[in-house]
Amino acid sequence: MHTDKLAPNHQRGKGRPRNSEAATASLVAVLNHVRLGQPTTRQDLERVSEYGRAIIADRLAILTELGLVNESGTGVATGGRAPRLVQFTNDRARLAVVTLDQSAIGVGLADISGKLLTEHHEAANMIDQTKTVDRIHALINWLMTRQSETPDLWGISISVPGAVLTKHNAAFLLETPNFLPNWNKSGLVEALMRRFDAPVWMNSNVQAMTMGELHGGAGIDQQAMLFVKVGQRIGAGLVSNGQPYHGASGAAGLIGQLPVTSGDTTGSLDAMAGANMIKARGVEAAQSGKSAYLAEILVRKAEITAIEVCQAAQMGDPVSTEIVAQSGRLIGGVVATLANMLNPQLIVIAGSIAQTNDILLASVREAVYGASHPLVTRDLRILRSQMGNSAALLGAAGIAVSTLFDPMFLKGWILLGSPTRHPDFLYGLQTLSSITQQSDDGPQAPPGS
Amino acid sequence: MTIFGLGPHGESASPPERMTLLPQDITAARAKKLRVAIIMHTLESDWARLLVQGMVGTLGECGAIVIDVVDCNFSSTAQINALDRLRRESPDAIISLPVNNTTVTEAHRAISEAGIKLVLIDNVPTGMLPGKDYISLVSADNFGLGKIAAELLSAHLPQGAAAGVLAYDADFFAANEREIAFNRWMEVNRPDVTVKTATFSTIDGAGHEAAQLMDDHSEIAGLFVVWDSPCIDVVRAVSKRNPIPPITTVDLGQEVTEILAKGGPVVGVAGQSPFQQGEAVAQTTITTLLDRPCPDWLALPGLIVSRSNVIDSYQTIWRKPVSREFLIGLDLLQSK
Repeated sequence: MHTDKLAPNHQRGKGRPRNSEAATASLVAVLNHVRLGQPTTRQDLERVSEYGRAIIADRLAILTELGLVNESGTGVATGGRAPRLVQFTNDRARLAVVTLDQSAIGVGLADISGKLLTEHHEAANMIDQTKTVDRIHALINWLMTRQSETPDLWGISISVPGAVLTKHNAAFLLETPNFLPNWNKSGLVEALMRRFDAPVWMNSNVQAMTMGELHGGAGIDQQAMLFVKVGQRIGAGLVSNGQPYHGASGAAGLIGQLPVTSGDTTGSLDAMAGANMIKARGVEAAQSGKSAYLAEILVRKAEITAIEVCQAAQMGDPVSTEIVAQSGRLIGGVVATLANMLNPQLIVIAGSIAQTNDILLASVREAVYGASHPLVTRDLRILRSQMGNSAALLGAAGIAVSTLFDPMFLKGWILLGSPTRHPDFLYGLQTLSSITQQSDDGPQAPPGS
Repeated sequence: MTIFGLGPHGESASPPERMTLLPQDITAARAKKLRVAIIMHTLESDWARLLVQGMVGTLGECGAIVIDVVDCNFSSTAQINALDRLRRESPDAIISLPVNNTTVTEAHRAISEAGIKLVLIDNVPTGMLPGKDYISLVSADNFGLGKIAAELLSAHLPQGAAAGVLAYDADFFAANEREIAFNRWMEVNRPDVTVKTATFSTIDGAGHEAAQLMDDHSEIAGLFVVWDSPCIDVVRAVSKRNPIPPITTVDLGQEVTEILAKGGPVVGVAGQSPFQQGEAVAQTTITTLLDRPCPDWLALPGLIVSRSNVIDSYQTIWRKPVSREFLIGLDLLQSK
């Protein structure tokens, strides 16, 4: 059972005026000033927040007691004693971040500023839901035990290979969304909530990676970015005015469903250009002997995946090069349409297929530059992501941080010292426990029978 | 070649053959009169010395002068100082094995920011990205090594026993991968075995931690130590116990080879190929200095070493025969 070490055991200072509704609003404002800005002095805080000296002193005293800010640093002296700097305590707690892909799991820990501290990735098969849930649990446990002191865990943010449709205004999940067929029955969210006593959030891999690329990769400071992930499925993420755009119901970017034509065949972009197509054409080339390079791999390894085909292309195998280039041209055609509509500054191509070779990127570039208006391509950069699956972990951390410190949600827990004590979360946990209890008890005989 | 692990950012491994240098590449490299510096976490292990040999030899063939080989003795301060000093020397490339994932990040990042090519061995500080902060990571398949060590130890563990793991108390990609893979293999293939873990922060503290772990958990019937140098300390610490626990580790160092060949307590080793890894590191460095793209992660597969193949594995890894005395001791050569 997780317990938060610094969180007070009851709502603090009952009856004291600073715990009023007004005090909560100013606490939230002061904390977010400190959290989102550079280390600052009390005088600067007074100026930017427009609160008086006494209020700032009082709110900082509360936030310090809650372990959310500290004044351990000193600024530059301007004639007298050096001023103390007010800083957000990033190390107050940890966030667990998880990315699930069709063939891999990534797990990491971030601090509550969203900085990724450690990560691990391993091959996995998502088909067995129970094993996947257990593995996520085991890896989070391992990461937590390897911290110097077992930290408080304030949330678990997961990215998954499918669109996640959630209720509007829901601060956290109470059940597993159906992001892939039957995963709503997996109990993933419920199990993690129960085992770690922490809120859980879930987003699509593409949305999380877009967020990660925006905050830690090529997208830093970009106002208009298009992010395209190429794997078994092909999806896109959009950044507009420096903010991710998710669409009316969170399903923006499902470009893999768009029809494309190659030769006499028409199919969805997923089917015609995704990893499954690359693998199938690679296996065919190996079995038929059209590619001696792939045929040799088949003899040695007995299995060819899209990764082997992409690596063969990078090594110069002409058949593999054409397979990957064809995929790139089809993706590039769709991306060109999006680019003409959206006029991005930057297009980032990511995912396992883009990561293992340069041919896909070259083909996408060729198609986009060839099919776009000159005004669209004048300053356009098209790059390969350097972040790999770390983008999803970093993005998941960013999503968790923005939710935790959203003023509406923050108001509900700031005086309690931890989001794990938010009344809505405790109610959700209690509801979950009672549902579990009922299902564990099984059907009961009616009284008097 | 099967690689079981994924890279530090979830990358799929590229084979070292992708970096093979052609005669014209070597000619082009020689014409550039390159200068390269090497910064190692330690030079005290057999693995590190052999890796450096592989690097220096290949760089020499390409006409690249090695201007320094630094031993950081696992100290982040020493590594930061070395990186700062060598950055001012403006070599064409620096090859480094980061001692941890946190405190040395900025010093490494400053190398790339200064326009010096940075190639990493075995570990990537968290937050550094390939192609931006460094060129490539070249490592063994550390996940595969942990898996091999678990499999070798499993044969010596009775039903329902516990296995002790001596893990490294630092956030370090290679050691983390080995430990996670060992646990994973046991979980999947030997669910009857429970795993108990202790961590060491210095090599000469590993033996004490192992003894303490075994005192705390008398059901431990075998140990895994994440590399060979601390393993030697563990062997010394547990060799007076009755029974002496079987041990597996990673790296076929000289002392471990001898212990394994003589019948224990080391019963198996997941072998790396440090010489070939050194060659791959040097080839990657030359490739990037010729302005050609390099993969994000190159990985070399692990070797399964048990008593039955220890001599030929030694030759494979060390590129030399075992000593005459050694062969006599094993009754493979008659004493005169």
